[in-house]
Amino acid sequence: METSRDDFVIAIRSAFLKKGNQQRFSLLSLILFSIIFLILGSFNFKLINFNRTIIKEVIYISSFIATIPENTLKKASNKVSDHFGHYDDYQIAKNKLEELKKKDLSKQIIEFENIELKKLIDDYFVEDSKTYAKVLLDKNSPFLRSIIINKGSKNGVKAGMIVYDGIYLIGKVVEVNFLTSRILLLSDINSKVPVTIQPLNLQAIMSGLDKQKGKLQYIKGEKLINKENKELIVVTSGLGGVFKSGIPIGTINLENSLNKNKIIVDFYTNFSQLKYVKVLSSKKEFINLDQSNKKTYEANKGQILKMNSQLEDIKVLLQQKIIAKEIRNKLENENIRLKGIITSSNKKLDEQDKKIKKYSGNNIEFLELNLLYGHKCRRTFLKSNLFKINTPKYKDCVLKKGLIKNN
Amino acid sequence: MVNANIKIKTFLYRYTSVILLFFSILNEADFNNLGSKYFSFNFAYILIFYYTLKRGDGIGYVYIFIAGLFNDVVNAVPMGISSLCYLLLCAAAVYLRNITLRPNIIKDWIFFLITILILNFITFSYLILFFNHEINYFNQMINITFTFLLYLFFSFLFKFYDNIILGRYS
Repeated sequence: METSRDDFVIAIRSAFLKKGNQQRFSLLSLILFSIIFLILGSFNFKLINFNRTIIKEVIYISSFIATIPENTLKKASNKVSDHFGHYDDYQIAKNKLEELKKKDLSKQIIEFENIELKKLIDDYFVEDSKTYAKVLLDKNSPFLRSIIINKGSKNGVKAGMIVYDGIYLIGKVVEVNFLTSRILLLSDINSKVPVTIQPLNLQAIMSGLDKQKGKLQYIKGEKLINKENKELIVVTSGLGGVFKSGIPIGTINLENSLNKNKIIVDFYTNFSQLKYVKVLSSKKEFINLDQSNKKTYEANKGQILKMNSQLEDIKVLLQQKIIAKEIRNKLENENIRLKGIITSSNKKLDEQDKKIKKYSGNNIEFLELNLLYGHKCRRTFLKSNLFKINTPKYKDCVLKKGLIKNN
Repeated sequence: MVNANIKIKTFLYRYTSVILLFFSILNEADFNNLGSKYFSFNFAYILIFYYTLKRGDGIGYVYIFIAGLFNDVVNAVPMGISSLCYLLLCAAAVYLRNITLRPNIIKDWIFFLITILILNFITFSYLILFFNHEINYFNQMINITFTFLLYLFFSFLFKFYDNIILGRYS
């Protein structure tokens, strides 16, 4: 027993303290270094932070260099797949463009109205600073979903700034170095964003779930049943003041949500395809009610009114078009029905003409001869051997010009 | 010419593991996060454990320490936690090497499982207690299971590389 404990101690001591031929430090000293790093990491000293920033910069850049071959391959494969899908994409884009053109006017009006109303309730934000950045690293960690961008404090990036892909929200800046920054993506499990579900106007908190999905918390699935069967859109609510309100995030996938008993959000942005992002900070617009503001307000209001009247005109014209179309359809149906009646009437007329022609020829001849030779055939008191009027023999007699006599 | 060949092979024998370690940590295609919910493994754990166990001089503790720091920065976890785990993994491997008289792959395998369970316990505890991280335990269990299962496959692969390609210098 004593011997086995000695062996254990010797093995442990050898493992931790013995240096190999190529080793400069013992294992124990490096473990101590690691623990010191961990402890120092929890303090917020300027010197430590500066050193940490330098280490991070070096690592990000070396990591970026290490990923160049992989990224080149990825780009090449993306290009090939894009090339093959080009025609289909073009058709889809064309159809979408047509749809969007139709919606554009209403959207412009709503935007103007929205700005005016937000100004009224003092919730209108304007851009404070805007930076475009390239994604350096998109490495998914088991503990954090984040990306590294090539802009840092040198370019005015600050922690807490909002990051967009186009108009869609993708995350916020959580770590700023001198030349680089880290963005915490919405898909991260630790990301919590206050959101509103439109058009139901429900409030919830969204956190990350999967690569392309988020989940809504503090809300029940039954509340999401909408009678109009419209698509449910998730936008930022602006609560808490970190994100401004109304930034689109994604749509609610009701089918998946019902199956998994979680309310799942499909993000608009594909986080694995991010290349360039927009880093933005916004501030509340200071409303100074001077003469120029008043003029701008009135000009905007005038523009809204003008556009509203245009929209009304378009609506009326559209209604008129619908009514004209209905009338035309009715007239066409009536026309078809009348054409049918005319055709059947013509047929009847033809038949009657034929009948008239058939009978009229004989009768006229009979009447003419009746006038000339009727007296030769008509029975009278004196001519009792002749025929009674309207009898076939009388008719025959008239037609033969009175040459037949009754025996 | 022969000397150059020997030099190249010696270099490859010594530094392949280091290059693999840094490449796996710095590259975007991470085995820890392959995109599949049901498949991921920690390649660095397998690599460090195997080479520390099988080679007297191992990968080099300083390289492992630096690789751990790189991993922490790239994965945005507190700096030092991966280094600590990697070095503890080395310590476990060296301890196993010291007490082993007749090497047996199955024993190594079981010892590796126990070690990675303890290391993951340390990592999770630290992240939860000190940094309030939320952790998806299902994914982590998948990761640990596949790291354990794939150890056998990679140990054969590394052995094959050492024996066939550079076997004469080992």
